[in-house]
Amino acid sequence: MKALSLYQDNGTLIHRVDPISKLLYIAAAIFIPVVLTGFTAGLAMLGLSLMLLVLARVLRKVVPLIGFSMLVLISVVIIQGLFYAGNRQVMFALGGVHFYREGLLFSAAICVRVLNILCAFALLVLTTRPSDLIESLVRQGLSPHFGYVLSSVLQIIPQMTGTMETITDAQRSRGMETEGSLMVRLRAFLPLIGPVVMNSLVSTRERSLALEVRAFSSRAQKTFLNEERVSTSNRVIKIVLLAAMAAAVAWRVVS
Amino acid sequence: MKKIVVEGLKYRYPLTAELALNDVSFEIEKGEFIGIIGRNLAGKSTLCQALMGLVPHFYKGAYGGSVTVDGLNVAQTEICELARKVGLVFQNPFTQVSGSKMTVYEELAFGLENLGVPRAEMMPRIESAMALLGIERFGKRNPFDLSGGQMQRMAIASVIAMAPDIIVLDEPTSQLDPQGSEEVFQAIQALSRQGMTVIMVEHKMEKIARYSDRVMLLDHGRLVDFDTPERVFSRDDLAQYGIAAPIFARICQGLGIRTPQTGLYPMTLDDAYDQVVNWHE
Amino acid sequence: MKNSMWSLKLSTSALVLIPAAVGINYIGKLFAGLLKLPLWLDAIGTVLAAMLAGPVVGAICGAINNVIYGLTMDPISFIYGLTSIGIGLSVGVLAHRGRITGIGSAVVVGLIAAVVSTVISTPINIGFWGGQTGNVWGDLVFAWMAAHHFPVWMSSTVDEFIVDVPDKIATVIVAYGIFKGLPQKMTILFRHDSQTEQL
Repeated sequence: MKALSLYQDNGTLIHRVDPISKLLYIAAAIFIPVVLTGFTAGLAMLGLSLMLLVLARVLRKVVPLIGFSMLVLISVVIIQGLFYAGNRQVMFALGGVHFYREGLLFSAAICVRVLNILCAFALLVLTTRPSDLIESLVRQGLSPHFGYVLSSVLQIIPQMTGTMETITDAQRSRGMETEGSLMVRLRAFLPLIGPVVMNSLVSTRERSLALEVRAFSSRAQKTFLNEERVSTSNRVIKIVLLAAMAAAVAWRVVS
Repeated sequence: MKKIVVEGLKYRYPLTAELALNDVSFEIEKGEFIGIIGRNLAGKSTLCQALMGLVPHFYKGAYGGSVTVDGLNVAQTEICELARKVGLVFQNPFTQVSGSKMTVYEELAFGLENLGVPRAEMMPRIESAMALLGIERFGKRNPFDLSGGQMQRMAIASVIAMAPDIIVLDEPTSQLDPQGSEEVFQAIQALSRQGMTVIMVEHKMEKIARYSDRVMLLDHGRLVDFDTPERVFSRDDLAQYGIAAPIFARICQGLGIRTPQTGLYPMTLDDAYDQVVNWHE
Repeated sequence: MKNSMWSLKLSTSALVLIPAAVGINYIGKLFAGLLKLPLWLDAIGTVLAAMLAGPVVGAICGAINNVIYGLTMDPISFIYGLTSIGIGLSVGVLAHRGRITGIGSAVVVGLIAAVVSTVISTPINIGFWGGQTGNVWGDLVFAWMAAHHFPVWMSSTVDEFIVDVPDKIATVIVAYGIFKGLPQKMTILFRHDSQTEQL
């Protein structure tokens, strides 16, 4: 069974950077352009993220991750280009409709902002095993109970998806219609999800019992099977990122 | 040394009218292997959960009497404290998987991490529990990719790795084939010989007769009998409690063969064989 | 006792409910997509958890749901976690005040959830996307209103609200139907007021 994850195990240098540093990188990628405003900082961060994604050899995997957002971004460009409230100056016309400079600039800013955030996250998501991320967070002080909940979700979703496929097949073979008018499809919804939902809720009782038996509620200081990876290079990365954020604030204050 | 002392235990689940356990009292010595038998709803699982504190702490409901495990009063001790002394294996292996670990090896570590067992101590414990249950080769597999029987072995190993003094098993071999259950019984017996106190609910009477030091017969929440397998399975009112004695005992009963020294029916194949041979001579 | 629904100390049962609820959200979204329904139906689990275990668990389900979506599908989901938290909180409070008694009141609660969702999402939509939601129907209305010089906050609110209303009402009705079908011995586990009685 595959756990729910976009992780690509390429074993590059980027993969070996610890998850907390990558989280800090996301913070910096969002924070610095906000502080400095304007296009340049956003574009620079975006360029840096893309470069790191290339280094991690996951650039192609970014496409599905940002696919949905790309569609929305295209519609944003069109709608703002046409109807942005501050539109004055026509930039070009396409088949008789006018695209305005102000709206396009406004939507371009949105695109840079969204893509910048997406790529920074992609760096974390594509190069970090979710279980490593969760374990790092627990070591940093996240409640182990929340750690459990997060890892459990990653396991439960593929399991439920598997059950769901079985049920869909079973209901179809019993002649339930899953295509046709909206009413027909709406009516099909409850019988399809009902069994999976009931099943997963009812089994929460037994799972809670089993967790109690395994000392889940224990207040003892939790230990870890896996060894913590501590390296000076990770510390350097964190310091550089913090320094970059501080520098951005200083620059903004001074200029 | 008394490991478990139960006095006048009464329990009723929330939203129910009948008592699931009614005035149950008994004592268990350290290192004993106890079999619990009885028909469905006799109170076997409830009793198992009462030894671990799930009854009453998890379910609430109505509780009376007392359960003392290794000197701790269960009603006043938290489940996670009891988890250091008592291990409990449930019947359904699927819901016993923690659901947060990617490999069998990590799954076994789950309880140890929660207890705060140091890392260096964890690995030998996990490895010996895996070896005992014969699942070493699945160490790197995803727990949910295992078969029912393998999962059941993993569930037992996960509890054994926590090194409890007392292990309570509620039908731990339901998903295993005959050979698999025999292996599991032998593994449990090995632990019992090392001094672990074993309490096991099981429907396979032949196994109970062969491995148990004493057998507890429950019915309608009451303790009917608690004695050696020979004495319990030689009762002539077993059918009344929905129990069929082990097959060898029934054969000898049919033939009227008793062990001369005790006047009871032989329980295991070997004993039965000896007595049948004697009888023919 | 009166404030027990705000207790932050979560029982093991409540913690185990959270992954199940997030899974249910996921399945709902998947089936809605599979059946090509014009609804998201991606908050059924959050609403169910809020009904079963109260506003705190509902809110946590919402937050964790979006963290997981963010990590595995679409990073933008992180920000909309705020909306999910709002839905979990509002339904949890209403359910624990005993306001959901039948289909009629489920519709009202769905409507309230839609308002909460719109109030939280719209500023995010404006800040992030210039006001759009990414839903085709909603965005068509947005484009029409923008073309007729309505202020952005108004077009964006309408965009979000017309998508949210049918979706949240359907979500609460489905969740209520499932809730009613659950055995009592299961639902009692999440009550905050159970005590052990002495025999």
